[in-house]
Amino acid sequence: MRLINEITRDGFFWIKENLFQSYLNSLMTLLIVVFIGYLFLDFLGFLINADWTVVEVNRRLLLLGRLPLGNEIRGWLILWFSMILISSSIGIWGSPNIKDFLIIFIISLVIFFIFGTLNSIYHILITYLISFSPYFFSKYFLRKKYFELSKRVLIFSWILIIPIFIIILLIGNGPKPNLWGGFLLNIILASVAIVAGFPLGLILGLGRASSFPVIKIASTFYIEVIRGAPLVAWLLLAWFVLPTFLPNLFGLNEVSIVVRAMIVLSIFASAYIAEVIRGGLQSIPKGQLEAADALGLSTIDSTFNIILPQAIRVVIPALVSTFIAMFKDTSLVFILALTDLLQVGRLIPEQEPEFFGRQLEALLVVAFLFWVVSISLSNLSSRLEKAMGIGVR
Amino acid sequence: MKNKKEIIITENVEKSFGNFQALKGITATVKESEVVVVFGPSGSGKSTYIRTLNRLESHDSGRIIIDGVELNDDVKNLEKVRSNVGMVFQSFNLFPHLSILGNITLAPRKVKRMKKKEADDLAMGLLERVGIPEQAEKFPTQLSGGQQQRVAIARALAMQPKIMLFDEPTSALDPEMIKEVLDVMRELADSGMTMICVTHEMGFAREVADRFLFFDQGLLIEEGSPDHFFSNPKEDRTKLFLSQIL
Ligand SMILES: Nc1ncnc2c1ncn2[C@@H]1O[C@H](COP(=O)(O)OP(=O)(O)OP(=O)(O)O)[C@@H](O)[C@H]1O
Ligand SMILES: [Mg+2]
Repeated sequence: MRLINEITRDGFFWIKENLFQSYLNSLMTLLIVVFIGYLFLDFLGFLINADWTVVEVNRRLLLLGRLPLGNEIRGWLILWFSMILISSSIGIWGSPNIKDFLIIFIISLVIFFIFGTLNSIYHILITYLISFSPYFFSKYFLRKKYFELSKRVLIFSWILIIPIFIIILLIGNGPKPNLWGGFLLNIILASVAIVAGFPLGLILGLGRASSFPVIKIASTFYIEVIRGAPLVAWLLLAWFVLPTFLPNLFGLNEVSIVVRAMIVLSIFASAYIAEVIRGGLQSIPKGQLEAADALGLSTIDSTFNIILPQAIRVVIPALVSTFIAMFKDTSLVFILALTDLLQVGRLIPEQEPEFFGRQLEALLVVAFLFWVVSISLSNLSSRLEKAMGIGVR
Repeated sequence: MKNKKEIIITENVEKSFGNFQALKGITATVKESEVVVVFGPSGSGKSTYIRTLNRLESHDSGRIIIDGVELNDDVKNLEKVRSNVGMVFQSFNLFPHLSILGNITLAPRKVKRMKKKEADDLAMGLLERVGIPEQAEKFPTQLSGGQQQRVAIARALAMQPKIMLFDEPTSALDPEMIKEVLDVMRELADSGMTMICVTHEMGFAREVADRFLFFDQGLLIEEGSPDHFFSNPKEDRTKLFLSQIL
């Protein structure tokens, strides 16, 4: 009781100190409260009148695009595989608190309501089981002596995640990549762009900071050219121009649109990642390299053991911002006539007469899905920062 | 002392930054196990000189021979020299992302391909020697300046160098921490390490050094024993400088 009294007293005190300490301040507070309240009521009104059948009927399209019937299991496998990796990683490295669990729970409930109807309820249940059991297993039942081994296996699986996704999609006469679509397509494209773009960006960033003129000029040229045009332009180039300009040497004409999109997105991402990395490299004091030189470390050893670990730590927030931006930019592949999540959400209410005027519902769900991934990435970023926080300057 | 071999030989070493000449022909030799203190006014080229000895700065002309190996563009020679010469900096330059143990074991493991266990043992031994074995698992920022500098000394010693270079190792330290670092250096000097030390701790220098080198404006103005400098220095510039710092 005393505690509650104290909390309310402190609460009032805080409100008074921060929100009402002058007339002007009080006025601003009231205006903002009214404004937010108005928006909230409006939104609430919309939610009450909303008709989510558009999402319910088309949930398969939203998630998988025009992936042929009978291939849903591939989508589920990808989801399960990712969930196993994510939750056992959290179990082994992270220490999620109640708040994180609550957020995860609420988000998955919403997803459940949106996408979970009877015929896939088993899948949803399996997903829950698969998602949470590795966490508890790795946290409570894993023997100490297997700990290092599991870490290695996990890291290895994370590195191989893209090839594994692609194998899951292609194995056993899988559908042509051009039929990948919906949210699945966004996830695949973004993962490829990030996983391929990161090492390339690392090399380019180091190259631009290098003291060899040829390497420096080449890297600078690449970075500036790629950043000089919008992503849409590069995508169009990959579609129209590449096949006509280049001789059909490498079977490029046959290379599917999705693969071309992957290449363009990776190249585009690498240029931005390179600049982020270079910023990090510049923040490392000269004395670090001198100390490494004086110890007789080779250039490669000091780059990978001293310079890069520090540089990357400094730029984690900027790096993750770039990743999030890349993830959202994957929706631009509609330019190549691919149907990603956003495109599906946009087209359904236009093309199916019974859903005319239901754009808002469809787009809200699209936005929600993008948001879930972005927020998870930014959460990961702050976790990484904290985990690496020890020993920073 | 007389018949010890000359482990550092510099002949007419010159170094310019742009059109500013920082070293105007330095000729000096250091014998094995000798402790040499370099001092002189700010900007006189002391740091530049000792940094040419492990080629953190490359010299423009003249010759530098370290333990029989000439420093030039040959990378093999550079590797040999750097594995024989340890360096301690004014600003410690510890690696902030590595633990104390990680700082000390990195070079032995990467350069000498030492096993982790062996390197750890070596590092613990060195931490004992500099008096802070209990800090092994911490990170550099968790240590005081004096402790950090002692780790930096241990890190350099881990490569088992024949020569140690010190560039004002106590200038960045609070007064109460200077002694602990000087004590480690004194022990090192007593153990027979060849040392070149830029410092303005004249009390320490007088006690430990076999020889002083006085630099001014890129020139080696005067050299001799500590007693020579404290009783009757020859050059006017030396006298003036000594009168200012003592
Ligand atoms: N990298 C560099 N580029 C340009 N000038 C330099 C560079 N390093 C040193 N100098 C110049 O060379 C001269 C000698 O510098 P040095 O650092 O050797 O002096 P010092 O005797 O160590 O002085 P201090 O007691 O201040 O450390 C100074 O005038 C300095 O400005
Ligand atoms: Mg100096």
